[in-house]
Amino acid sequence: METPATNNNNNSVLQRSVAMRIIKQGAEARVFESTFMGKKVVVKERFSKKYRHPVLDSKLTLKRLYGEARTLAKARKLGVATPALYAIDFVTNTLTFEFVEGTSIKDILLQSAPLPSPDGKLEEIASKIGRTIARLHDGGLIHGDLTTSNMLLDDKTGQLVLIDFGLGSTSTLPEDKAVDLYVLERALLSMHSSIGPLMSLVLAAYNKSSKYWSSTLNKLAAVRMRGRKRVMVG
Amino acid sequence: MAEFELDTHPGRRLHLLLFVDVKNSRGLVQAMQAGTLVPELAFFNASLVPDTFPVLAAAHKAVLSQTRGSLVTRTLHSELIYNYSGSKHITEALRRSGINESSTYVLVAHFDGTPDEIEATRALVQGSEISLEELLERADHPLILKHYKITPAELEISSLADAITCRIAARDAI
Repeated sequence: METPATNNNNNSVLQRSVAMRIIKQGAEARVFESTFMGKKVVVKERFSKKYRHPVLDSKLTLKRLYGEARTLAKARKLGVATPALYAIDFVTNTLTFEFVEGTSIKDILLQSAPLPSPDGKLEEIASKIGRTIARLHDGGLIHGDLTTSNMLLDDKTGQLVLIDFGLGSTSTLPEDKAVDLYVLERALLSMHSSIGPLMSLVLAAYNKSSKYWSSTLNKLAAVRMRGRKRVMVG
Repeated sequence: MAEFELDTHPGRRLHLLLFVDVKNSRGLVQAMQAGTLVPELAFFNASLVPDTFPVLAAAHKAVLSQTRGSLVTRTLHSELIYNYSGSKHITEALRRSGINESSTYVLVAHFDGTPDEIEATRALVQGSEISLEELLERADHPLILKHYKITPAELEISSLADAITCRIAARDAI
């Protein structure tokens, strides 16, 4: 699908002369496929929101661009697989990433029969998810948007690759880790409830690999009772 | 020698030449500092370069800064060395990723070179030219890990070249 996206942004990435093909459009960013030094890459462009005050808008866009690059770099240092970052451009608000050939966990789950899976593939995926999140959390990183569409299984290495650190942050609080897990739990329930109790497998693997599993799991129970948002009274 | 098209900047090219047993580093450093090098060149401490891809990522950044008039070093070629180091400290970056008077293993880079300029480069550097294929084998891996602060955990999920490229790209965000 060749989509010549409409260009209403002066600094749009589309002024680049390399062929760009739009592959996803979200609320915060557009994602293109392109080439960078001969390699296939993904270009993520954060666009400005016309309804926001221009000063606030450019500050937020820049801060999130910075944040995503920083969180991604930290995640890699912890040994969590992410697409490699090849370039940042603060003028066009774009990040250029390695193109990971793989399948999203969402697509895998949507095409799978309920647990238990005959070859143990789903159980293996669940345990990879648990181990990966534990590694991230023990290193003091919060992904912020753990959904099955933000996880890929790399075709070549079989590794679980996390994408979209746009809402990532650093925190060692059990509260933040619990909310991170809770978001995933809700995502699994709403998208993949037919698969069965996948989250319990994820949590089992998380418990095994995280040093701080006990406080996080206690907090998760509390978060389940009240929902993602903290009650602010008094 | 290899020629690379910088596909993010159509029409711009980068030539890379790799030399061992370079005998005139002292002269090269002096000419570079005096600004009398013809053609203008960038000299890398090749021990820190295991692959050409991070060099190309640094070249992309340098050309982008040049087209926007935002080079922070004196020339496009020194900007290339500065970008490759992944550091914000210019002097430190040039000292580590560039060559010093006793360097013998040198990667030479030149933007938008003509055949004459490439010949002039070969005449300028007194050493034996070898294939870029040897970069990985000859790189000083412990030094690279130390310089870029790459952890063993990161190498479980990433190639060395990608780990370096991430630091080159993320420098301005950190």
